[in-house]
Amino acid sequence: MNEPAVQASRLRKSFGPRDVLHDLSFEVRPGEVIGVLGKNGAGKTTLLELMLGYSTPSSGEVRIFGAESQRMPGDVKRRVGFVPQQDELLYQLTVAEQLRVIASFYPKWDHELISRLCGAWGVDPQARIKSMSVGERQKLSIMLAFGHRPDLLILDEPVASLDPLARRQFLEQLVELSAEGQRAVVFSSHIVSDIERLASRIWILKEGRLFWEGDLESLKESVSRLHIRFGGATVPNFEIPGVINQRAQAQSVTAVVRDWTPAIQQSFEERYSVTVEQESLGLEEIFLELHR
Amino acid sequence: MFILNPNSGIPIYRQILEQVRRQIASGQLKPGDEMPSVREIAVSHAVNPMTISKAYSLLQAEGLLEHNRGKPMTVASRSRAQSPVSRRLEQIEPLVSQVALAARQLQLSQAEVIRLLRGKWEQDDE
Repeated sequence: MNEPAVQASRLRKSFGPRDVLHDLSFEVRPGEVIGVLGKNGAGKTTLLELMLGYSTPSSGEVRIFGAESQRMPGDVKRRVGFVPQQDELLYQLTVAEQLRVIASFYPKWDHELISRLCGAWGVDPQARIKSMSVGERQKLSIMLAFGHRPDLLILDEPVASLDPLARRQFLEQLVELSAEGQRAVVFSSHIVSDIERLASRIWILKEGRLFWEGDLESLKESVSRLHIRFGGATVPNFEIPGVINQRAQAQSVTAVVRDWTPAIQQSFEERYSVTVEQESLGLEEIFLELHR
Repeated sequence: MFILNPNSGIPIYRQILEQVRRQIASGQLKPGDEMPSVREIAVSHAVNPMTISKAYSLLQAEGLLEHNRGKPMTVASRSRAQSPVSRRLEQIEPLVSQVALAARQLQLSQAEVIRLLRGKWEQDDE
């Protein structure tokens, strides 16, 4: 029962000569919420599509509840919910008709949840999809992915076209769903603060590699920014332990470091006769600094 | 009951730890007081429930909160109503050092900062 929801080993994907994903290995356990961050083109959507079996890895494999993602049997597919970046709705249908089509694939469709969400999110079941706004269509896509209460929920930029109110409602609903115990969630977003709220673990994709993988708290506790002030006009020739990047200004150096401690600080200050001020960083700042 | 800022560099679970410790130290939270459920906090602040349970279980390990099966989390009966001044001072120490730093950067004198603090204090007392 406690099998991993997703298990990837040495997953690689190339389009022609271009490697989009290099050699990714990871696991998602039930109960985890993974926040996927990366610049445009970092490979986020490609990764999520491989997990869903929408495309075939160039090498390696990804398994969903133990089944190879391109060969998921029906009972495994029914445990997965997906909110795509671009909706896959049938525009000629009404909301109610679209909901019926999707519900028919799932014996355990939660009609009560869906009608509650329609009410809360202001989606009119009689509305024709082609006449709805992008935001309303996104709400509907989210409902379609929630309706069968999937054990694995994969969301690709689910909030991109939602207004702040709808986004908050969506987040609250996602918290409710993920609070029901053993559900695994993988979601990508450029809205770093949403990932900060919800994710228990962070993947930072950079040029097709898992540049950082770990829990959000240790990331925040590990990475910090230092403001190093020195007396003279020339930058002292110091080596900063655990440095990720550094920039010199007049009479000070700003550096981003990993695992800075008071003990390190004290010996550093004494050794180079400088004063150091340490600043903790939010996820957005960390993300930006890791890409400098 | 909590002020949570997910964008801060301080992890959310630590924000909760600090606030509960402070409220217990000051006697604002008294032994036997019920804490809101993990789910309540998670939904109302739209944050991951595991983050809240992590904070709660650390507070339990510290002996500040206790949990009886099937009952809500409560402030532990053994946690004395108010901890000594020295312990309470320890808890605002980080905030004070931030103020001191900012004051030095702004080249404000001690007297000026103390006057400001006193003013705030009296304002809140009214």
